Amino acid sequence: MPSFKLDDKDIPFEPGDTVIRAAHRVGVDVPHYCWHPGLSVAANCRMCLVEVMPPPGRPAMLLDVLAWDDLHQTYVPQKKPKLQPACQQAAADGMVVKSQTSEHAVKARSAVQELLLLNHPVDCPICDQAGECRLQDYWLEHQASKKRMHDEPVHKPKGVVFGPTIVYDAERCIMCTRCVRVSAELAKDPVLSMRERGNLNEITVAPGRQLDHDYTLMTEYVCPVGALTSSDFRFKARVWFLRSARSTCVGCATGCSSFSDFDPRNQKVYRYRPRENEAVNKFWMCDEGMLDYQRIHQHRVLAPLIQGESVSDSAALERAAELVKAASPQKTAILLSAEHSNEDNLALLDLGKALGALQIFYTGRAPGKGDDILMSEDKNPNVAGVLALSGGRAKPLADLASAIKDGKVGALVALGSAIGNPNDAGVLKEVRNFVALSTHEGPIASAAAVVLPASSWAEADGTFVNRQGLWQESDRAINPQGKSRPAFRWVQELAKLLSLSLPWKKVSELRSLSKGPTPPATTPSAPPPGAE
Amino acid sequence: MEPLDQDLDAAELELPTEPMLLNVGPAHPAMHGTVRIVMELSGEIIERCDVQVGYLHRGFEKMCERGTWTQVFPYVDRCNYVSPMLNNVGFALACEKLLGITVPDRCQWYRMILGELARISDHLTCTGAMAMELGAFTPFLWMIKGREMVWEIMEEETGARLTHSFGRVGGMASPPTDGFKEHVRAVVAHNVTIIDEVERLLLGNRIFLDRLENVGVISAADAISLGWTGPCLRAAGVPYDVRKAHPYLKYGEVDFDVPVGTTSDSFDRFMMRLAEIRQSARIIEQCLPRMADSGPINVDDPRVVLPPKNEVYSTIEGTIQHFKIVMEGLKLPAGEVYSYTEGGNGELGFYLVSDGSGTPHRVRIRPPCFLVTAGLERMITGQMMADVVPAFGSLNMIGGECDR
Amino acid sequence: MSKALIELVRKNFPDAVLESHSQLGDDTLVLKPSSWKEVFRFLRDSQQSDMTMLTDLTAVDFPDRDPRFEVVAHLYSLSRGHRLRVKARVGDRDGETVEIDTLTDLWASANWLERECFDMMGVKFLGHPDLRRILLYPEFEGHPLRKDYPAEKIQPLLEYRDEPNTDKIAPFGVDEGMSFGRQTHKHGIQSDETN
Repeated sequence: MPSFKLDDKDIPFEPGDTVIRAAHRVGVDVPHYCWHPGLSVAANCRMCLVEVMPPPGRPAMLLDVLAWDDLHQTYVPQKKPKLQPACQQAAADGMVVKSQTSEHAVKARSAVQELLLLNHPVDCPICDQAGECRLQDYWLEHQASKKRMHDEPVHKPKGVVFGPTIVYDAERCIMCTRCVRVSAELAKDPVLSMRERGNLNEITVAPGRQLDHDYTLMTEYVCPVGALTSSDFRFKARVWFLRSARSTCVGCATGCSSFSDFDPRNQKVYRYRPRENEAVNKFWMCDEGMLDYQRIHQHRVLAPLIQGESVSDSAALERAAELVKAASPQKTAILLSAEHSNEDNLALLDLGKALGALQIFYTGRAPGKGDDILMSEDKNPNVAGVLALSGGRAKPLADLASAIKDGKVGALVALGSAIGNPNDAGVLKEVRNFVALSTHEGPIASAAAVVLPASSWAEADGTFVNRQGLWQESDRAINPQGKSRPAFRWVQELAKLLSLSLPWKKVSELRSLSKGPTPPATTPSAPPPGAE
Repeated sequence: MEPLDQDLDAAELELPTEPMLLNVGPAHPAMHGTVRIVMELSGEIIERCDVQVGYLHRGFEKMCERGTWTQVFPYVDRCNYVSPMLNNVGFALACEKLLGITVPDRCQWYRMILGELARISDHLTCTGAMAMELGAFTPFLWMIKGREMVWEIMEEETGARLTHSFGRVGGMASPPTDGFKEHVRAVVAHNVTIIDEVERLLLGNRIFLDRLENVGVISAADAISLGWTGPCLRAAGVPYDVRKAHPYLKYGEVDFDVPVGTTSDSFDRFMMRLAEIRQSARIIEQCLPRMADSGPINVDDPRVVLPPKNEVYSTIEGTIQHFKIVMEGLKLPAGEVYSYTEGGNGELGFYLVSDGSGTPHRVRIRPPCFLVTAGLERMITGQMMADVVPAFGSLNMIGGECDR
Repeated sequence: MSKALIELVRKNFPDAVLESHSQLGDDTLVLKPSSWKEVFRFLRDSQQSDMTMLTDLTAVDFPDRDPRFEVVAHLYSLSRGHRLRVKARVGDRDGETVEIDTLTDLWASANWLERECFDMMGVKFLGHPDLRRILLYPEFEGHPLRKDYPAEKIQPLLEYRDEPNTDKIAPFGVDEGMSFGRQTHKHGIQSDETN
């Protein structure tokens, strides 16, 4: 593999790589604002300037400059090498590049940083980006000097509403055009652009338009400073109090890798952030997924219910056990949920096996909007997982509806909250002995005689199988909300009351079973729950 | 009067005897701070005893793992609360060792003067309390008056008599005040006269001497094995003083002696502290002329030192610098360090483990008086009950530091 | 400063030393837990090291590592003026079997230092004569300096003990926490009855 030298470190590269991309791949950081691995090169921030040494025997490309001589109080002519932006400089075999070791590059970066802060408002205390702001980080790393210009800074519009999700502050903007490129290249909707020039430069929305495509929050995500803020997260939390859990988005079957940012003090999730995953979402997430964290705290079932009345854990469990016991195994049905992780589904499946129940069905949320970028029409994170765990025996909800109508279902133990087809909600109510393990209010919780509050995806570790058939793990962020517990815990308790033994005793055993010995290469093809 | 059973063996007595269990503390005026000693007595002799500490445990080390490195300073103040400045400086030096920075000369002299003043206040408290517990109330008042003068200097310099929170990584919170040197000179001179007066008051007193001499003796070998440091170890004749053995700040450039004891009894420990006050006065006198009247007190390193407030409020560069240090905390490089200074009671060590983030991974304080108190059991077993109080007093157990 | 010390131990115990470094002038040895005590005995008794003093002993919790805990001891030689930090990594991820040999028969200071380390970190020192809590009370649940112990955790309130022949006595009885406590206490009650 060809390689070049960056600050005495050998960096291998693939043909066509730029210096910064090759360095980024091996985890070496060249400071940058405008470059993003998922976007085209703009080379306008000049932060990644590096000194490319001339090939042996060739003279360096030098520029004539005037340098201030402090001793003689005058400018003297000098020569300095022409620096190159690492984001645009194509890598060549044997090339020698100096970044932190080049005094010229270090000086240039400090000057770039000083210029970027020239008109920057003193906003850190009220800025949502503070704590994860490149301007702050790079000031300490590359400038660390005091302000020299004490004139009134240029004032520009603040709090400009770009669309339903994004608010723009032109004073904080460094004109890196990342947001412009995200709109044009990722969302294929070139709705953002720049107007004016020099220090009047600002980002603007196309006339007559709003920033309202499906990836608007990605413009905020790529913004290296606090210029774009999400109206959802704005002024809600300070990022240095948040902790991140490695999660998987459960908004649709794509299963984008994400971070759940939560506050450990009040056990609340405040936002999602995309997590880089070359195989699934690269660097991105859609708006729907980014805002899906809200469901963790909205319309939750947080206490055990019997006929809608809140009761104690033990009362609900005892009642649930009675209901399940009352029906014969042949007439007991299990309803799995594509909303839930493999752990939850497998636990219920094992309970069904122990009960001798032969009728297995599955359901999930109704389909929605899809596109050919990331969004999937199937809004369930785990259809493939449910089908794989049940060996394809799980039948869609429509079959359950007809089984109920035929009187074949005496007792039903259901996981999940939503059903694919709202027309089936009425039929579910016909089952008397109906125990539900639900995270959210919805048709299942309202139809069930006993509802046990299940923890959501953010409150337990779980494995989800996405539409590509990838088995992805999602880590717990917060503690179970209210009196909820992970569904497999409820199943464990229920099995104890029913004196049934499950094939696993500890959660770690369940987890290793749920991860699957070898992830199946192809996904079993099945229609999403709503499409039946 | 001669006892009636003078020539009777205890075994021959008809009276049934059994050991008496006596519990002193934790809330007892002679148990400085809150410590508890459970003793099994045979007559007045302590047969067995168990020293129990921990009543002042406040989770110091756990708290340190929750904030930033700078936020540890108020906690170390509350460790040894009779010489908090020594803790401040000790912790600052540990952080600076990990960062690899050295504070300006002016700050080093300033730290030495404040530290030695704190040592004087520490020793005055201990010796004064010891005298009071033996019934000599006047020297106590004398010495507390001297201590109060020291604390007035501290208040002038830091704004607080006791809990200064004055140390900073890379310097001090503020430079010396204008009248600092004259103030210190006056107070130190006065304190030396107080020591002289106290010696005249006490050292001719038969009761005082009888209760201290040859009481609470511990061998040098035992003291070393117990990890004793500071005045208690030096009273046993071992001349180990961190300031001399491993000079830090400018201790290598000043002239002072390390007094040592001979018999390692409570009296030696008492005299040790008086001698050390005189040595501290000597050090301060040498430091004062060498501390510059102007010049920087903090290192010139934007990673660790806060910008002036007017810049924080008016320029983005100042705001960012302030923000980085206050919100994210100054970042000590990942690694571990053990830094040791001479505290009021001996080697005050800080073992810091940093993971490179702004929050300490582990702050272990090596409390000198925890180990000194550990030796109390060995020291008083076999002694008379009444000797516990002066012997314990001579160890100068500080609850905050011992229990953390 | 005293890199020679590291070499000395490496030479005498080639299998015991896992790694060593001298960061910021602090010489550090990482030992196999099994040879913990013999190396310390050597360091104390050898003429070249002459470690007279066990200055400090503590532990550090690294919840993501396996072994999870580092037991850290600092040694000092009064005669030679050199220091050495010695560490051993012990314990599994659950923090259940965290065990290492005691140093109490080498230095008296190890007694309280190890008790504190046990109290705060839950490191069990095998062979310690009196391994009980020192800063906290016997009923305390958990080991607070472990990283998985939440700082805001509230300990349960203690019940008043029901003792015969008394009204109510506080949770901390006169003999509570003493190594020889129980026996004496029973003795006291018996004598109560006989008198």
